[in-house]
Amino acid sequence: MLTGDKLSDKLTLNIENITKHFTGPSGAKFTVLDNISFKVVEEGSSGKLISIIASFSSGKSTLLKIISGLETPDDGTVKLNDKSITSPNGEIAYIPENPSSFPWMNVADNINFAMRSSGKLNSVKEIVSAVGLTGYENHYPDDKSLGFRFRISIARALAAGTKVILLDDPFRRMKSITKDEIYELIRKLINDFGITFILSTPNITEAVYLSNKIFLMKKNPGKIIDEVKLDAGTATAMGLDRQERFLSLRKEIESKFVSIGENLQTEVHF
Amino acid sequence: MNKETAQNKSTLIYVLVYFILWIVLFEFVLPVNNILPKPSIVWQSFSALWEDYNLPVNYLNTVSSIYLSITAAYFIVHLISPVILNKKNFLTDFIHSLNWFSNFLPGIVIGMMIIFWFPESNYIEFIFVLFTSISSFIIFLQKEINNVPSEYTDAARSLGVSENKINKQVIWKSMQPSFYNHIIDLHLYIWPMIIAFEFIKGGYGLGSIFRLALKYRDLSALFSTFIITGLTIYLGIIIIRFFKNKFAYRG
Repeated sequence: MLTGDKLSDKLTLNIENITKHFTGPSGAKFTVLDNISFKVVEEGSSGKLISIIASFSSGKSTLLKIISGLETPDDGTVKLNDKSITSPNGEIAYIPENPSSFPWMNVADNINFAMRSSGKLNSVKEIVSAVGLTGYENHYPDDKSLGFRFRISIARALAAGTKVILLDDPFRRMKSITKDEIYELIRKLINDFGITFILSTPNITEAVYLSNKIFLMKKNPGKIIDEVKLDAGTATAMGLDRQERFLSLRKEIESKFVSIGENLQTEVHF
Repeated sequence: MNKETAQNKSTLIYVLVYFILWIVLFEFVLPVNNILPKPSIVWQSFSALWEDYNLPVNYLNTVSSIYLSITAAYFIVHLISPVILNKKNFLTDFIHSLNWFSNFLPGIVIGMMIIFWFPESNYIEFIFVLFTSISSFIIFLQKEINNVPSEYTDAARSLGVSENKINKQVIWKSMQPSFYNHIIDLHLYIWPMIIAFEFIKGGYGLGSIFRLALKYRDLSALFSTFIITGLTIYLGIIIIRFFKNKFAYRG
């Protein structure tokens, strides 16, 4: 039985004082991320979704790549359950904005590519069922929707036995109906499989709708300026954006960004 | 119908028109001349080519040198791809240093040196094309690695997959469509080079037929060999494209 087959019981992801500089084409050094710290603690049986809201080119992708071990910070540490993450090890999967499923492999091959025996779900059948792709095992992703390709990316992360999945603004180009389905999938994975997601997005509505906790990040340099804790299962409990609390939260976050001179997306896509 | 197919179709129509014009003008309208031969004489010259110019052996020599070498080079490069794709190493530095020379020396000039060193060897043509193809493939792969979408490699690395597996199953696979396009370009570069190589060296090959036809001022043999060469190159491109569609992923 798949439901309740938790991938992790307890998880602590500690991001401490992450700083990153880049050197521009002219040789000038600039700070992309400035002393970023936050902690994700998951003690219950279900996972969480933490959002980082920031505008474009604010260093969101760099931060997620550092958390996954794909990039090294100039200063600071990332620890997953007290173990330092200095290179990718499969425990924290990174899903980029552009589709990352391999178009030369069918769904089953994409999943097998990442399959590890350490994962709790270790058959293609179980994984395709968990992400809603049953019957599509032999289909190729290159002529499919962004939602289909996103499901494959999630499936690969499950096959690798990942504890944390980092979503780098993956919903931006998805159709509204696809987004709705993907939101449902994410909730299912949080509740049934205990997966923790960290979502980076410039879309306030999306973050409020999905998250347990939101970090607000300004740009130039990227720095966490505030955090908003939401009720557990906020979105489902409140129901879309008609509810007063939902609207006030969205307004509150929007005004925080306006106060630092940044305008973010608030449009509703669902 | 996509743009490429439409373009190919219109090119073919033009070629067909040229062919018909040649038949009409040079067979029925114009008198015998030294510009282009009469189509009926060209048709008859095919049998002369077969017997007097030893077409089968010469043709097989050129075609096998080119296509077997390119095929062998593809498999050799595939075999050593983890080394090529991994990082800078002795092999790629060595190939790049040779490539530096080839920037200033056309391939055929290097070919002439090889003819001078190995005037009697029957295999040197094959080895020459093999080495040219391997060098070209290595340099292409090293450049193309920068065009592999980072989302593929980032996602794969974050899943804890080994670099060797990423090189073989992600980077190599992702490069295949452009690699096949490069094979077509390389094949178009090698054909004239090898014709010139055989022309200079003598011995077997279509280049040798061109040399004899020029020597004996045999316009119809020259023109027939020209048609055979053109059709073979065209067929070669079609076959490489077929392999591309069959083995390189769609999109």
